[in-house]
Amino acid sequence: MKIITKKEFLVFVDALIEDESIDIEGVKAKGEKFVFGSLESADELQLDYDVTILPPKKYFLPQYETMMTFDLSKPFDVERVEDPKPRIIIGVHPYDIVAIKQMDTYFLDTHVDDSYLQRRKNTLIIGSSVLNVAEKAFFGDMRTGSVDSGYDLMLTDMGDKIAIDIGTEAGEKLLNNYARSVQEATPNDIQKVRTIIENTSAKAKRGLLVKPQGWHDLLEKNYDSDVWKSQAEKCLGCGTCTLVCPTCFCYDINDEVDLNLTTGKRIRTWDGCLLRNFTKVGSGEIFRERMEDRYRHRYNRKGRYLPDMLGFVACVGCGRCSSQCVPDIADPVNLINKLAETSQSIKKSEATPLTAEDKIVSATVEEPLHVPRPATLKRVEKLTELETFFEIELDDGLPLGHQPGQFVEISVMGFGEAPISVSSAPNGNTFELVVRRVGDVTSKLHAMKPGDKVGIRGPFGKGFDVEALKGKTLLFIGGGLGIVPMRSLINYVLNNRQSFAEVTILYGCKKPCELLFKEEVAEWETREDIQFMRSVDKCPEGESWDGEVGVITCLILKVKFDPKDTIAIVVGPPIMYRFVIRDLINLGMPDENIIVSLERRMKCGVGKCGHCQINGIYVCKDGPVFSYKDVKDLPEAFT
Amino acid sequence: MKKPKVAFFDFASCEGCQLQIANLEEAIIDVTKIVDIVSFREVMKEHSDEYDIAVVEGSIMRPMDEERLKKIRANAKILVALGACACMGSVQRMLNQWPMQESKDIVYGEGDPKDIEDNPYFANFHTKALDEVVKVDAFIPGCPINRDEFARVLVALVQGKKPPIPDYPLCVECKKKENVCLFELGKFCMGPVTRAGCDAICPTYGSECEGCRGFVSHPEENAYAEVLEKYGLTVEEILQRKTMFTYRYVEKAKKEAKKDE
Amino acid sequence: MSKINIAVKHLTRIEGHGNIVLNVKDSTIEKIQWQVSEAPRMFESFLRGRPHHQMSHITSRICGICSIGHALCSLKATEAAMGIKVSEQTILLRKIALHGENMQSHILHVGYLVAPDLFRAGSVFPMIETHTHTVLKIIKLHRLANEMSDLMCGRTTHPITLMPGGFTAIPSEKQLKDLKQRLIDIIPVCDDVIQTVLDNAHMLPDFSRETEYIALTTDEEYALYDGVIGSTDTGRHPIEEYESIANEFVVPHSTAKFTKHARESYMVGALARFNLNSDKLTSLAKKWAKKFGLKAINYDPFMNNVAQLLEYIHCVEDSIALIDKLLDKGLKKNDNTKYKVRAGRGIGGVEVPRGILFHDYTYNNEGICTKANLVIPTNQNHNNITKDMEIFAPMLLNKSEKEIELNLEMLVRAYDPCISCSTHYLKVEFKR
Repeated sequence: MKIITKKEFLVFVDALIEDESIDIEGVKAKGEKFVFGSLESADELQLDYDVTILPPKKYFLPQYETMMTFDLSKPFDVERVEDPKPRIIIGVHPYDIVAIKQMDTYFLDTHVDDSYLQRRKNTLIIGSSVLNVAEKAFFGDMRTGSVDSGYDLMLTDMGDKIAIDIGTEAGEKLLNNYARSVQEATPNDIQKVRTIIENTSAKAKRGLLVKPQGWHDLLEKNYDSDVWKSQAEKCLGCGTCTLVCPTCFCYDINDEVDLNLTTGKRIRTWDGCLLRNFTKVGSGEIFRERMEDRYRHRYNRKGRYLPDMLGFVACVGCGRCSSQCVPDIADPVNLINKLAETSQSIKKSEATPLTAEDKIVSATVEEPLHVPRPATLKRVEKLTELETFFEIELDDGLPLGHQPGQFVEISVMGFGEAPISVSSAPNGNTFELVVRRVGDVTSKLHAMKPGDKVGIRGPFGKGFDVEALKGKTLLFIGGGLGIVPMRSLINYVLNNRQSFAEVTILYGCKKPCELLFKEEVAEWETREDIQFMRSVDKCPEGESWDGEVGVITCLILKVKFDPKDTIAIVVGPPIMYRFVIRDLINLGMPDENIIVSLERRMKCGVGKCGHCQINGIYVCKDGPVFSYKDVKDLPEAFT
Repeated sequence: MKKPKVAFFDFASCEGCQLQIANLEEAIIDVTKIVDIVSFREVMKEHSDEYDIAVVEGSIMRPMDEERLKKIRANAKILVALGACACMGSVQRMLNQWPMQESKDIVYGEGDPKDIEDNPYFANFHTKALDEVVKVDAFIPGCPINRDEFARVLVALVQGKKPPIPDYPLCVECKKKENVCLFELGKFCMGPVTRAGCDAICPTYGSECEGCRGFVSHPEENAYAEVLEKYGLTVEEILQRKTMFTYRYVEKAKKEAKKDE
Repeated sequence: MSKINIAVKHLTRIEGHGNIVLNVKDSTIEKIQWQVSEAPRMFESFLRGRPHHQMSHITSRICGICSIGHALCSLKATEAAMGIKVSEQTILLRKIALHGENMQSHILHVGYLVAPDLFRAGSVFPMIETHTHTVLKIIKLHRLANEMSDLMCGRTTHPITLMPGGFTAIPSEKQLKDLKQRLIDIIPVCDDVIQTVLDNAHMLPDFSRETEYIALTTDEEYALYDGVIGSTDTGRHPIEEYESIANEFVVPHSTAKFTKHARESYMVGALARFNLNSDKLTSLAKKWAKKFGLKAINYDPFMNNVAQLLEYIHCVEDSIALIDKLLDKGLKKNDNTKYKVRAGRGIGGVEVPRGILFHDYTYNNEGICTKANLVIPTNQNHNNITKDMEIFAPMLLNKSEKEIELNLEMLVRAYDPCISCSTHYLKVEFKR
């Protein structure tokens, strides 16, 4: 540990500020509160602050981040935007450093986020021990009052002098280059620092009844507690808690076009699961509509889902959500204690220590995470009033390389991105999509012609496990638009017919005019090596239909199959698959024999933006194809 | 592709929203490059009845205004309600608290009643927003509008996209800007129930949000009323804030209460 | 038997809706009327029952262009009613805000609404091609004025930071210093634009009619924020006597009331202010007044446009001086006056771009408004416009109908009426 006088420290900071090649950010006053902001002089720095309004996550995941620019006057012109300016943040409290480590684990694990990584690599963190404890802080309870890594330098302000713990070589270099009269700390100094940290951590305890390791069990046991509803009744749905939280990092991405209608940007911005439209899909359905579900989700994500996924409880006890929630219902201490009052014997789970440094060093960027690849529309065919068929080829000539059941994110620059299931079997250099017109992106797609260019990201998601299906008897049950992803597997199976036992295809739609893939359906009808049946819910006046009439569940009864020895593949709208699955179970089909494809709002496609979560799983990563066994106990899966 | 024709109109308003368009400064030149402005009474003499997009500011307060609006609706493919007067009724909606004759007496009382009665200029009825008279295709809220939002909506309409008006509370924008919450300063902000898109401009300058952009589509009104009471506002004071810009919602609630009776 | 019937419906390039009607038969004017058809929003009615802290926010909505002026006048009325005395810092900041609005309104008027007439264009849009440099300079002047009032009030249209007793937020000293520099830098651009107008001033009709001019006046400065009522006919009067000065009366062809004082009508606005206070203008403004040959008392309503330009540059220079004053003293972060709500009646008088404005409020013990009266500048000009037309129209009869119409329109535009403040455009029908 080193020691420096306060005076020399201020000189050090001023020296850093004078270096125009670095952006120096630090904690400063804003009215009676504190914020991280650009420092113009060292005396703006307020190391004795209690807590900032926003955490330093804004430096790594900015509130508004231009990810790429595009030029609509060219067929496909997209340029990634970089942020290479070196930055130093001064005054980061230990609990915020823990939060940054958590963010590193999330963003630099699989599917490394290149924008995040660039900012992390360019930033040095000068931490600062907490001197004043905010009223609602409970980092003492959360054991985040001190860290021994994750910083380049760690300061402890002792009044007339500042103790500096060197965390990295880069930190040491900083001191060598910009600071003068740096001394070795005496054992006395070191003891003083320890005392300060211990005392403040002791003060930052608010009587949390259940330690973080017990939150998982507590939340699981209390999933249906009345507490959620009674708390959520007071919730304004304003999004404050997630925005100010250092361990919340869900985001949305939108396109903005300039007034010239030519240039534009694709911008990432903070989003939050408490906002009503967080789970809204193109067709308008909202998957977490009740406030109590959203309110409960936030706590479960932090105390159960993220621990399950990455090994840490995503709360560092900073108290920001608590102090800034106007109706005062966001306080984790109050909430946990409320749940604890009605619970006995809480089990503790193992906590995994975070090591962030290796994340930054070892993270390898495969490709920019959000920048789409150019592709050209080869064929565009209108199938029905609402659905259009597209055959697409990537401009680099490579095959998409997808598995049946996977999806792509298709970009129309200036309009946005939409997740569309791939409808063709994986063969050849092109792939096929069937798109329903529901919003801006899909409407624009429908108006495009062969030769026009789009952007493609993916393929994403877990598709059908074709290997596991080999040799089995298959029962395809497709409802409405569900036939689209199912077709990729159907065609694969038909192309490799010998590898599978009996094959039955059931296809139902609302009305005859909504039937897709008319030619292929006619072909399936004539094939002798499969059984095919189709049905419509009803046949309105003026339309003709020569198949069955009735909901698709009626068709199941017409098929002779051994439920225990058949794999059912169910794809369709929620109202359809709920009933189909119920009927299959009633017939005695085991859970693991049912494969279902679930739909949610998928945006990033790689399990980062947070929109597609069903309880603790990401539909885009863990699905969209699921074994029913794995999702049947998820309360949010079949609401 | 031919440039869409755009015409601007106004009714009972302060014309502040149209002024924001003039305040686009140099960007107004960009606007003239992507659309043809065929009518804009405040700044130009020329006028044409052939337009694709009609941008209309102001509330409807007289039969003669209703007629004029209906003509505009018939001419236009897309009708845009510009600003709080057109979207909700703005402050003049407060007139709807009393019978119209009472207001006429107060304002024109000392005049000759013969001059006022049967005079179409003075034939005020209770304030109406545009969509209470004709179908409206797009709404740009705010008093005044945010001109960046206008530019975004114009771009969206020309491109054929849905106008990007947010449907979440102001708090989101306020927090992203790292403002100190006005509730912490002892003020009573309508941000939690008001539609974002103005970049939280009033709270940024330390002034309470007054709800001029209208509520989000699903405001948590009960929770919000509870918060205001907790922070010390009386029921009367809460209503005073609600009547200023958002009286339309109070009127609606009153009507629905009457239906239930 | 020759007839001329001009009915300009919803005159363009003015704020608000108004019609000009002229019926001539055999060189006799049968009817000349300035009609105000704007839909009345009846502020005086719905201000009842409003708490005192909402008043300035509501009344700023009277007008989109002079909302700062309305807000300031409203605050002065409330502060007068409740005995709230604001600090000198607050007054200086408010004066700069008012200057910003004056500049913005005047350059919008002369640059966008009147200049096309000088260049015989339909609007400023074609001038973007034909007179690009001038238009860009006008935009620059407009932009600075807007950014200035944005800085002082948070937002130009419907200001945010103005409140009884002071401000919810004020600019920093650095921001004021930057503004000062920008004001200094804009002066050459002002000079260019004013020179261009001077070069084209001959396109303004030649007309004058003796009338009364009313504006705020004070010994301290060119009165805009503070002063007493001044009249070129009757001298000075306290603000409290506003009702006897602005005698409002209802007219059937106008949803806005008309006014009169010593004569049949009077004029307010930049020309009125010039006629009463020209000796208090800043040096550059005085220099330009000389170049235009403009001297008090000038009875040519078209000179109102010129007076507005002089005020633009006056406001620029005066703002620089006000900023210097503020910086000399140093800005206090919170200089707001604390006050207790109480019953009372207060009257505020302020010069907004178009003329003298009065707000008169009565509050009860809870600070709720029980009565409000507003006299808007444009209301005070409607009658004068009508009287001018009655004299001007006969002088035009030998011209073509197009020219008659244009001249009458230019007359109305010269007043820079703000009709939504008080109350539309009819179709033009020509019958000869």
